[in-house]
Amino acid sequence: MHEEWAALLSDRVPDCEAKVVFGKAGDKSIFVASPSLHRVCTLLFSHEDFDFHVLQLITGHDYLASEETKDTPAQRARIEVSYLLTSFRKNHDLILKVELPRENPTLDSVCDLWASANFQERECFDMVGVRFENHPDLRRILCPDDWEGYPLRRDYEVQKSWHGMEVEPEHKMNLPEREFEKRQKEMAAKHGV
Amino acid sequence: MQDGVVIAKVDEFLNWGRKNSLWPMTFGLACCAIEMMATGASKYDLERFGCGAFMATPRRADLMIVAGTVTLKMAERIKVLYDQMPAPKYVISMGSCSNKGGPYWQYGYHVLKGVDEVVPVDVYVPGCPPRPEALIEGFLTLQKKIANEGLLRDKWVKNA
Ligand code: SF4
Repeated sequence: MHEEWAALLSDRVPDCEAKVVFGKAGDKSIFVASPSLHRVCTLLFSHEDFDFHVLQLITGHDYLASEETKDTPAQRARIEVSYLLTSFRKNHDLILKVELPRENPTLDSVCDLWASANFQERECFDMVGVRFENHPDLRRILCPDDWEGYPLRRDYEVQKSWHGMEVEPEHKMNLPEREFEKRQKEMAAKHGV
Repeated sequence: MQDGVVIAKVDEFLNWGRKNSLWPMTFGLACCAIEMMATGASKYDLERFGCGAFMATPRRADLMIVAGTVTLKMAERIKVLYDQMPAPKYVISMGSCSNKGGPYWQYGYHVLKGVDEVVPVDVYVPGCPPRPEALIEGFLTLQKKIANEGLLRDKWVKNA
């Protein structure tokens, strides 16, 4: 079914570059180019073959390029935003994904199509820092308004203190354990395990 | 009391009254709050110990049960609520989260590592979540602590 959908999408939105991707585990998804996202969503919402009238969730995921795999296309540094769309009338669903650069990721908001996108996009902004254009009220949703950084970024470093409260008091934590994985790798490299 | 005579120290009398009418504040933060509600419900019945009257405002409460995860965002509000309570006031820290960060103690960027960073704590109740019996034990410990206090003695007697 996804192939037909992708063909229909490419037919109606010529610059969307829809392609079907098989996950190693889990479901198929359709990738589209990020500038065409709003037009693609409008089509998915209104076309009677799709009829996706429910947006279940929007989630952002951050990928860092790793040293070993940076040449394979799947392991670029990127931010992926997934939209899980459902139609109860047609009884089908779809995972729609777009890929964004890690610096200044920007997307069009789909709040005008699905009202549920409002909080989901705010969460995505809060956690991985994707800016949604034309969002009615793009503020942080979980973290405090003056929080620094985006916690679900892979390279996130938590700030030292917030409003005079120490975030990670040294005497209450086991900070050396943080280094555990690093040390493990060093040892493995040293002893050739 | 028509024919009897009761002799007691004023302090002890006051303590007896205070410890048997602890009024906690209605206020729960996470999963531990569910257990606190269970403690207040009919099966465990906090009213037996005189501390079942959950007050809807900090101004009428003299006990704060911090039941649950204290996020940094909430910690500021807890401080405000604590300041609004009239003295003498007590704090029970219920559950690992408010004791020391709980499951979030190592990697939780958003959790305060122990509510004692912002308010003074009288009794710590360990557990994740503590069973109602554990919370009741916490109450009894606090009552013992109150029974040994001397509010008037501290105020009026020099070098007490
Ligand atoms: S201590 Fe455990 S049960 Fe209590 S709030 Fe924390 S995670 Fe929930």
